[in-house]
Amino acid sequence: MTGYIIRRILWIIPVLWAVATITFFLMHAVPGGPFTQERNVPESVIIALNKRYNLDAPLWKQYLQYLWNISHGDLGLSFRGDRDVSELIRQGFFVTAQLGIVSFLFAAVLGIVLGVLSAMNRNGPLDYAGVFFATVFASVPHFVLATFLIIIFAIHLRWFDILGWGGPIEYGDAFDPSAWHLKKMVLPVISLGMLPAAYIARVTRASMLEVLGQDYIRTAHAKGLAQHVIVFRHTVKNAMIPVLTVMGPIFAALVTGSFIIENIFSIPGVGRAFVDAVIRRDYAMIMGTTLFYAAIVAFANLIVDLLYAVVDPRIRYG
Amino acid sequence: MSFLKNRGCLLSLVALGALVASAACGGDDGGGEKSPAATGEGEAAPADQQVLVVQHTEPQYFDPHRSNFEQDISNERMLFRGLYQLESTADGGVSAVPAMADGEPTVSADGKTFKVKLKSGLKWSDGVPLTAQHFVDGIVSRGCGPDVSNDYTYLLQSAAIGGIIGVKGCDEYSNAMGTTDQPKTPTEQELAALRDAVGVKAIDDTSLEIDLVDPKLPNSFKQIFSLWKTFPARLDVIKKYGDKWTDPGNIVVNGPFTMTEFVPKDHITLEPNPNWALEPKPKLRKLTIKFIDDPAVAFRAYQTGEIDIVNFPESEIPTVKADATLSKELITEGTGRIDSVEMQLKDPVLKDFNVRLALSRAIDRETLNQVVYNGASIPATYWLVKGLAGYQGNARFEKIIGYDVTAAKKALADAGYPDGNGFPALKLLLRDDAVQRSLGEFLQNQWKTNLGIKVDLEFVDSKTRSSRFNSEQFQLFRGGWQIDYPDPENPLIGLFTTEGGNNHYNCSDPDIDAKLKAALTESDNDKRIKLLSDAETLIVTKLCGVAPITQLARVYLVRSKVGGIETNGTIDAGLPANWCAECWFIKKP
Repeated sequence: MTGYIIRRILWIIPVLWAVATITFFLMHAVPGGPFTQERNVPESVIIALNKRYNLDAPLWKQYLQYLWNISHGDLGLSFRGDRDVSELIRQGFFVTAQLGIVSFLFAAVLGIVLGVLSAMNRNGPLDYAGVFFATVFASVPHFVLATFLIIIFAIHLRWFDILGWGGPIEYGDAFDPSAWHLKKMVLPVISLGMLPAAYIARVTRASMLEVLGQDYIRTAHAKGLAQHVIVFRHTVKNAMIPVLTVMGPIFAALVTGSFIIENIFSIPGVGRAFVDAVIRRDYAMIMGTTLFYAAIVAFANLIVDLLYAVVDPRIRYG
Repeated sequence: MSFLKNRGCLLSLVALGALVASAACGGDDGGGEKSPAATGEGEAAPADQQVLVVQHTEPQYFDPHRSNFEQDISNERMLFRGLYQLESTADGGVSAVPAMADGEPTVSADGKTFKVKLKSGLKWSDGVPLTAQHFVDGIVSRGCGPDVSNDYTYLLQSAAIGGIIGVKGCDEYSNAMGTTDQPKTPTEQELAALRDAVGVKAIDDTSLEIDLVDPKLPNSFKQIFSLWKTFPARLDVIKKYGDKWTDPGNIVVNGPFTMTEFVPKDHITLEPNPNWALEPKPKLRKLTIKFIDDPAVAFRAYQTGEIDIVNFPESEIPTVKADATLSKELITEGTGRIDSVEMQLKDPVLKDFNVRLALSRAIDRETLNQVVYNGASIPATYWLVKGLAGYQGNARFEKIIGYDVTAAKKALADAGYPDGNGFPALKLLLRDDAVQRSLGEFLQNQWKTNLGIKVDLEFVDSKTRSSRFNSEQFQLFRGGWQIDYPDPENPLIGLFTTEGGNNHYNCSDPDIDAKLKAALTESDNDKRIKLLSDAETLIVTKLCGVAPITQLARVYLVRSKVGGIETNGTIDAGLPANWCAECWFIKKP
């Protein structure tokens, strides 16, 4: 197992190199640069800026310099305010991760509970309600849901706030109760988590139904085991394998941030920073966030694979 | 055996719901103030209520010498002030008045040397006296310095290279690195010599002398030395902290506010600078500027009571006007920006004046304003915006290039395309956003309906659009000009002079060139304004690269509890009345 983990981690390095290379050259191939404006930018300005950000070297030299820098942990400076890209990602990710993790927990709990309830009450009212929920919210894009939630619950009912994130912005405030404002967290979490919750509910229901049809479950019933024992000790655990398959990518997607939700709620996360960087052609920030996302996805997939082994004893990695 | 009897799963759902409900029923924690009904006028509320939350887009810098965008400039005017400052006058005009300067400058007989005396007792926020040398450092090292060169270095350069005020020696110093074709690598000594040759010197701690290449009128001088590129600088602080000198805790200011908090992508917090020298002193004890790029998001935050001043999208104007409270809080102000359809004069079709005239006269600008901007903007056939000296307005140009379908058809027929027959399809290049989509579709429809011609719309992102414009890869382009300072020369010089740096539509007319050249050296202000106004007449009537369509307006919502709002679209930078943020206060309820 240790060998497997080490091999997987080592494989991440060439993956990140490929991502860096493709992104670097694609980024420079796109029309318009970081200093391009509708107004004429004098040559002296271009010279000064290129010198400042090392953009005056040939492209291949910039590429090699960049590889050298990132191998030493230097992601460069953002063109916006000359701020350190690592620092911006660190700050932004702290917020995005909170949003992602809370949304994931919301989606997981809601999805699994609804899926289990639906499966246990097949063709009953709870099943129909669960299927209805899953179908509707799997079809509604999260920005549409966000708009409805804002109009109803924030603007008309004034139950919640919509501006910013309700958790700490700085790592140091993580344990400061005054940095937590639940009223600001509810709507973005529901907006972001509802679609994955619907998807998880569908997968859970289908998986539960399959397991419930297995002979050993029939045997457990015949042996007179209590319902909650059958459900929690035998059914749910076995039904979770397919669910885990989808939850890994869902977790990675949520934790890497949703630009749309971050924009709608003005959340200072890394998703918003990434799209803003692309629009502005902020090269260092584009590279930094792309590599960061690639690393997150790679590690998330590794964790999911390892969890398979935890959930299913038949799976062993050598 | 009913699973429902096992309440485990149901309890989980109920718990989830309870958590959501408890958050909803919780106290108002940390959002901004909800607006109380306004019952008073003019008197300030107690100090503990003087808290304001406003919306703006995120700036790139807080360093005034590196800034290019209005959101940066908006913040920097709150943090710093120059020798002079631009103020709104009672008649809605603009005046450059002394700020750090003590009174008017003394001008030499030849109009090239200006002496400015500073007010006594000026201090930076850290208590260090503000001296003339700080202005020298700001103008020379940070204004003309080649390593700090930005879009607004041109303000200090001479007319010979497309500049404005022409500080002596600034051209040479700012271009010390040469060009891309002929780069230079000056030594430290050479750079120091160029820097020392710039004609800005501190006579003593409270006086400085500024030498110009060409004579300038005092009003022009004061206007330029109100702008952010000429703010004073603390080289000692910049040296100590490097690029982090503008971080809260490091930054040193001479303006009405100082920055105490900055969260990237979220907000900055400003508090009064105890050493602010001028009146009024800020009444606000805390001003938070939330970074929200999307006006629709800002509008919703205003509706929930979390923000007190927002710029909102024109599409919401009907909603605002229909609301009893919001309609009273609506402010519309014309900005210093003219929007236009820009036409590439190198194009074989568009170089024909009659084609350009047809395109311009086929646009119903009044309806465009209603459809695209919900009536918020000002239909325009003029180029010099309302509020500028020399403004002529629609009265002058409407009958020449304004909406007239008959005249448009005749012009197209005169160009050889009766009823649009044989007219090749043109392309209109626009930015991919909601307003420009609406605008593009409207124009396309107008030309199809009124002229029978086909114009394809091309939507690209902002950088691609700018790149295409700068490399002149367009036929029709939705462009315009936002004035940098309230002088009619700003939207003309460089935009319509042959080979002008911003003249990407290739307007080249000897009469226009002559007028603009004469205006640059005219020492009588009234004559100068007349020359610029005549230049505008030539540009508009000849449709020399541009067909103006609207003078853009901005729509804001300002809580009725906020006082001190005296808007002036010519000098406001994305926030109403932010030319005097120190004037803002919360009224007594």
